[in-house]
Amino acid sequence: MPFFLFILFFLVYPSSTLVIGSFQDNAGHFTFANILGLSNPFILGAYEISLRISLYTAAGGAIFGFLLAYAAVRGGLPSFVRSSMMTFCGVASNFAGIPLAFAFIASVGRVGVVTELLNSIGINLYDMGFSLYSILGLSVVYMYFQFPLMVLIITPAIDGLRREWREAAENLGGSFFDYWRRVALPILTPSILGTAILLFGNAFGAYATAYALTGGVISLVTLRIGDQLSGDVGGMSAGAGYAMALGMLVIMTVCITGYTVLQRQSERWLK
Amino acid sequence: MSAKKMVFVLMAMAMILAACAPAATAVAPMVETSAPMVETVVVPATAGPAPTANPMDTLAAACKAEGTITLIADPRDWADYGTIMDTFGSRYGVSINDLNPNGSSADELAAIKANEGNKGPQAPDVVDVGYSFGPQGVSGNLFAPYKVQTWDTIPLKDPNGYWTEEYAGVMTFEVNTKVVKDVPTSWADLLKPEYKGMVALAGDPKGSNQAIMAVWASALANGGSLDNAQPGLDFFAKLNKEGNFVPVIGHLAEVAQGATPILLRWDYNAVGDEVSAAGNPPITVVVPSDGTIEGPYVAALSAYGPHPNCGKLWLEFLFSDEGQMDYLRGFAHPARFADLVSRNLVTSDVLSMLPSASSYSVAVIPTLAQIAAQSTTITSGWDSAVGVTVH
Amino acid sequence: MRRGTFWSWLWIALGVIYFFVPLVATFAFSLQAKLNVLSFKAYADVFSDPNFRINFLASVVWAVSTIVVGVVLFVPTAYWVRLRLPSVRSVVEYLTLLPFVVPAIVLVYGLVRTFSRPPLPIVNSPLLLIFGYTIMSMPYMYRAVDTGLRAIDALVLTEAAQSLGAGWLTIMLRVIFPNIRVAVLSGSFLTFAIVMGEYTLAQWLDKPAFGPYMALLGQTKAYEPSACAIISFALTWAAMGIMQFIGRGAPGGAQVAAGH
Repeated sequence: MPFFLFILFFLVYPSSTLVIGSFQDNAGHFTFANILGLSNPFILGAYEISLRISLYTAAGGAIFGFLLAYAAVRGGLPSFVRSSMMTFCGVASNFAGIPLAFAFIASVGRVGVVTELLNSIGINLYDMGFSLYSILGLSVVYMYFQFPLMVLIITPAIDGLRREWREAAENLGGSFFDYWRRVALPILTPSILGTAILLFGNAFGAYATAYALTGGVISLVTLRIGDQLSGDVGGMSAGAGYAMALGMLVIMTVCITGYTVLQRQSERWLK
Repeated sequence: MSAKKMVFVLMAMAMILAACAPAATAVAPMVETSAPMVETVVVPATAGPAPTANPMDTLAAACKAEGTITLIADPRDWADYGTIMDTFGSRYGVSINDLNPNGSSADELAAIKANEGNKGPQAPDVVDVGYSFGPQGVSGNLFAPYKVQTWDTIPLKDPNGYWTEEYAGVMTFEVNTKVVKDVPTSWADLLKPEYKGMVALAGDPKGSNQAIMAVWASALANGGSLDNAQPGLDFFAKLNKEGNFVPVIGHLAEVAQGATPILLRWDYNAVGDEVSAAGNPPITVVVPSDGTIEGPYVAALSAYGPHPNCGKLWLEFLFSDEGQMDYLRGFAHPARFADLVSRNLVTSDVLSMLPSASSYSVAVIPTLAQIAAQSTTITSGWDSAVGVTVH
Repeated sequence: MRRGTFWSWLWIALGVIYFFVPLVATFAFSLQAKLNVLSFKAYADVFSDPNFRINFLASVVWAVSTIVVGVVLFVPTAYWVRLRLPSVRSVVEYLTLLPFVVPAIVLVYGLVRTFSRPPLPIVNSPLLLIFGYTIMSMPYMYRAVDTGLRAIDALVLTEAAQSLGAGWLTIMLRVIFPNIRVAVLSGSFLTFAIVMGEYTLAQWLDKPAFGPYMALLGQTKAYEPSACAIISFALTWAAMGIMQFIGRGAPGGAQVAAGH
């Protein structure tokens, strides 16, 4: 029961000021204006961009993260690969903000190490249309904490794939692909999808990295909320910030519910 | 089942409690200035019989009793705040609590607001904000009035004492000459294709005074005026379209690395960076020849600060001859510059690090009304001019 | 399996390239503090700065405290939920994932406003920071513990212990806890990394911490911030390596899935 009290005081209560605040205007009176204000094209645009980036990085993160995890866990590699990758992913999953942004600027920015290297062999990234400071660029940077998160969460699920099942499938005459199609993927899919949804939520809520890399030029929901909470910008108010945060909360709740449902499904198989 | 119900009940309680709470935060500002109204003691030394106690000593003692002062968003390397803070701290025996040195002017006002009921170290006592944020603070009821002893020699101030200009800077180009071979000398130059991917701001124009002023300065060179900053937005839109603008928020590290080799900065920050880099990389500071803006920064006393006496003492120090000279040594133009010069306090070695005096002649300084109007234009127009909102 | 190993190495190699290139670029830049010469000057500057030590150690203290609070709070709760209150499970799981939803800046704003007034004016105490961090790490810590409990089939173990006459405290400390040690460790890794890099809470609550220190460095110095980033990455990775090494002695937690 102390758990619930703790949550109550330190999470629910402060978060509810968010919910309440979104229904208040500057003078504290109840109003729907903030919620309606969400239909402002700038705000909708911010939601659209946030959703897009989150989708790209969730999909990319899920796929490549899964491949990495599977390779380390079941790929027949020496065990040091697995343990060092797990610890590395622990650190990398939280490497964000200015240091991460700078690391990428220093690598693939206009005068980055990689950019210059490619220049010297005749491949000019920026002339080809690539820019680190675009939605694509930001997505590439986000992957730095998305891949590790996927690896960390999906590894127990991969662990749960019993070796016996693989052997049984082979004994019954199935090939490598059959095993995957009929046995492994159906079992893993709920976990993979569930974690992908978590990745989606993670990307949606990212703030520091986007701010550091693009100075607020790319319009994301979290950046806009930050603008509002820091002061009056463009005629909006703190209430608008809260309303946006509420919108975020709704989206995230949907994500989490989806994740939990899918987790339940996969649990049946891995028990 | 009962456990589940209990959880829901608890959560409902939390929501109800929270609904009541925000009303409580709209508490009237604390009447914490129980200290004698020192601001009225701006007694010129020549007035009648000398007062028995020097008002500054009284203030210093009261401040010592408070023990600490909370500043906000004053990086040590910004206009030599480091020296100012150290001198103040050791002279008056108080500790300096420097909050959020990276903060913007907008963050400073937000911090006052968020900590209205909080007497702890998160609540700032004084702020140093961009010119346009002065009136914003007044209308938000965030400041307490205070007129320092040297009030009369300060040209730019709020008539009621709510805020006072401490120093001003001029918008310049901070250029990494290792990366940029051909140094730009004007805003028009910046549009040249050779500067592709090189020009950056030092903040987000939606909240950083330095960035807002940079945009406005570019307006002056492109058909705009102190009453019309829109050409500045157009200029940056063009800069972005040509690919010369880099959206990264630039710091010395990015200038050195080459990601933002042309950074739009106040002269005191740019020269400060030049000195700090000490040739690695080599930096030149250029005042754009086709127009630039002078941006004052103002100090204000928080109405909710936990250490009001230290706040007032700090302001007295900033506006004293010594404080103003410290700003000058930090490469900023102190508000009382004319006064200091007329009393022969300014020596040439201090002025030598700054760009030549003649180049400053193009700088113009806006009025309050102009700032209020144009800041809004810039902060609300930025996203549509340069931002990536919808594809 | 041969073909399989090739592909495994390929993915790992791609991963290594992606992860290490930015780190190498940062490292290369940090070596340029002296003009035209590669040197470790930036690192020397960082290490000799007393603020580095102060803030780094402060963050370590916060991290360890957060881990302790988390363990004390979440292990019994997860255990109880699993054993006694399965009906509350979905609510609890939702709650534990909620911190993902609330952005740090909103959380700290709410915390400051809530706790600067009676009845609990703890806004100035480090406790608030630690509790804030506990909330932020909850999704990871709670899930790790939960996974661990699931893997060891806590119900059976408890019943066995009870039939041997053990009381609750004994069960928790000598039966359950040792068996989920690995899971707890993995949750601790993530908590440690989160707290070490955290910026928003420490900044707004005005407590010494590594995150704000790094940001401050970035404001005025050219090469030191990169050196600092590399140092923090390396030290955090090393700390995790140590934790994993210590944890190796314990009976495997999540690995004991097979066998049922």
